[in-house]
Amino acid sequence: MSKSNSFRDYSFTEGSAGNMSYGYFSMNFKLILILGLILVILIAPSLTPFTIAQAQQPRQVTLTAIVAEPKDRWDTLFADALAKLRERHPDMTINIDYRVLPYADTRKQILTAMAGRTPIDLISVDQIWLGEFAQGKFLSDLSNLVQSWNRSSDWFKTNWDGGIYNGKVYGIWAWTDVRSMWYWKDLLNQSGVNPDSLKTWNGYIQAAKKMENSFKDKGIQPIHLVGASHSPDMWYPYLWMLGGKIVEQKSGHPQKGTYWFPAYNSTEGVKALEFLRDQVRAGIKPQITHFWGQEFADKKFAVMLEGSWLLGHFPRSEWKNLDKNVGMIPMFPVPKEGDASATMMGGWMLAIPETSSNKALSWELLTIMVQPDVLAPMLEKYGYLPTQKPIAEGTYSTQLNSTIPYYEQLISMLSMGHSRPSIAEYPQIADNIRQAIDEVYLGVKEPKQALDDAAKKSAQVLGWS
Amino acid sequence: MLQLRTQKLQPYLLLLPALSILIAFLLFPLIWNIYLSVHDVSLTTILGGWKYVGIKNFSNLLYDPDFHKSLQVSLVFVGGSVAIQFFVGMVLAVVLNQEIRGSNTLRALFIIPWTVSAVITGFSFKFIFNDSFGVLNYGLGQMGLNPVAWLSDPGTVVWTLVIANMWHGTPFTVIFLTAGLFSINPLVYEAARIDGATKIKSFFYITLPLLRPFILINLILITMWSVNFFDLILVMTNGGPLFSSTTSSLYMYRQAFEFGLLSKGAAAGFIMIGINLILAFSYVRLFRRQ
Repeated sequence: MSKSNSFRDYSFTEGSAGNMSYGYFSMNFKLILILGLILVILIAPSLTPFTIAQAQQPRQVTLTAIVAEPKDRWDTLFADALAKLRERHPDMTINIDYRVLPYADTRKQILTAMAGRTPIDLISVDQIWLGEFAQGKFLSDLSNLVQSWNRSSDWFKTNWDGGIYNGKVYGIWAWTDVRSMWYWKDLLNQSGVNPDSLKTWNGYIQAAKKMENSFKDKGIQPIHLVGASHSPDMWYPYLWMLGGKIVEQKSGHPQKGTYWFPAYNSTEGVKALEFLRDQVRAGIKPQITHFWGQEFADKKFAVMLEGSWLLGHFPRSEWKNLDKNVGMIPMFPVPKEGDASATMMGGWMLAIPETSSNKALSWELLTIMVQPDVLAPMLEKYGYLPTQKPIAEGTYSTQLNSTIPYYEQLISMLSMGHSRPSIAEYPQIADNIRQAIDEVYLGVKEPKQALDDAAKKSAQVLGWS
Repeated sequence: MLQLRTQKLQPYLLLLPALSILIAFLLFPLIWNIYLSVHDVSLTTILGGWKYVGIKNFSNLLYDPDFHKSLQVSLVFVGGSVAIQFFVGMVLAVVLNQEIRGSNTLRALFIIPWTVSAVITGFSFKFIFNDSFGVLNYGLGQMGLNPVAWLSDPGTVVWTLVIANMWHGTPFTVIFLTAGLFSINPLVYEAARIDGATKIKSFFYITLPLLRPFILINLILITMWSVNFFDLILVMTNGGPLFSSTTSSLYMYRQAFEFGLLSKGAAAGFIMIGINLILAFSYVRLFRRQ
């Protein structure tokens, strides 16, 4: 069978049609070949100068980043840092392609991207994710870079340590926030409550009772109590102020020798949870939906323990005179007058994923982003708190103090700030604690029983069985 | 000879695109899920070696009281959702099938909830049922009644979710059964009427038997959707309080994506496939027997 016949078999069935198609194909093929040759002849002379010109052009680099909402802060920060980075590298054309995701999606998206080896150059990391990311070998070890950078001593110790996992630096804590007590001055006044009485556990509960009678049928609730999924975050300060811990190192782990063990069911933990129980018994309703301070700004609550981001719910035009209407006590209530208080610090770290294809340039960008002259204006604009002493205590502080309401008091809280453990198992441990808090809120269990049961589960999660 | 072979191959070649899609998006994930479920993989070990653990993930699930609880919650949620969606959907479909003015407009309006995404439905109902500031409790307050802890009472919360799911899912039953009702020849009703059958008798002896295939498919679909449904629940309650609204699908999601326990999540997913298959098979058997 000839070649033409075999082709005919595949294409059309009958003789004449097959011949016609073969001829048609052959003609088309020649036409394509001629056109191709013409194209090559036309383009070939221009290829050499093009290559030379390309070599003379600045190198194009696009850095990629995944960061958490709100977007505006990143727009400001990236724009300023990129301008400085470009100045340092006139031989390069540097761009940043960054994706801003809602908080709830950020961790999942980052993990998915890194597990899939997607090259990303910079990410924003919530302090509690660091352990998980580092353990998964998703983050670049910055220890050597940090040494030659020589700026670690500029950070508050707690904030610097937050970026360390197993002795290695994986993230630089860019800014923080603290939780404190906010109240509406007129509402407290109307109900005859002295703000100072809110400082102790007993005073706090008595104030709630007093306000309850005063605000009846007015659509205002006296005191906000978190019942949402982050309820453990608002319980930790009570645990810490009593000297308790969430987890502690313990030897005898079946696989790891010395490892973390749940410590939150200690006497201190029980006492801290009893305070939450007493609030519920006094008629304070745990709020299962959380609006991150908007509910306070809307005057739905007279008193609220909330992060410093609450200020962002007030228009910036009102910031200057905000202290006339809204009061702030830089503490969580303490068991009795004179006791030391505590608070929880959050905020964002910057880290470089292991998959980054531009690690040196990403590190340079990161260091520019945390430079006081770049970072401080952004903090001022959005009301965040610094993690670096040169911003918190230096010349920048005067500027921040004149813009951010209660800035000095908020900064003073950094010294009593604690952070949550950045270990891979933390999300499950927090879920166990959340269950214990819910059980106490609903009266299903007493604080001790609830915490013991939760700690048993946490021990299992940590591999202690 | 070659021509004959080509002709024989032709149907398979035509099926190839559809089969490739099925294999890539259905069979491969299923096999991958099984593979994951017999290994010990978490988000933190995904880039390392995957240790084979056999049925350990399944046995862990069977001893996990939270998983038991999630199965109980699923039973109530799916049972309640399917029963109410089917009953309300059937009533509406039959009523709209009567010669009523504006029935077509009403049908179009009834589709709206189904076109709204479950996440938006979840947010809307979260605000409606909010214990402190919700519209519903405000209304109750105006009538002098005590507020109800719709979302924070472990005994109530699952029924709140059933109501939200009913609003979201019933339109599908209405549309599906309406299509079934359209397929019934009106002459059958006419003949029954001449023979003296009342409307109720016509419904039980003509409508229901002739609708049976539609009812069967509808029940299978809404049951499977309710078993797998989790986005509305995630938005409204995130499974709380005290796991009282954590269905098996939400449990699976939280294990895999909140806690990063991919293998445990995969094992839960595999069990859910089994549950879906058993339910579908039961429906088919039940209807065949009848």
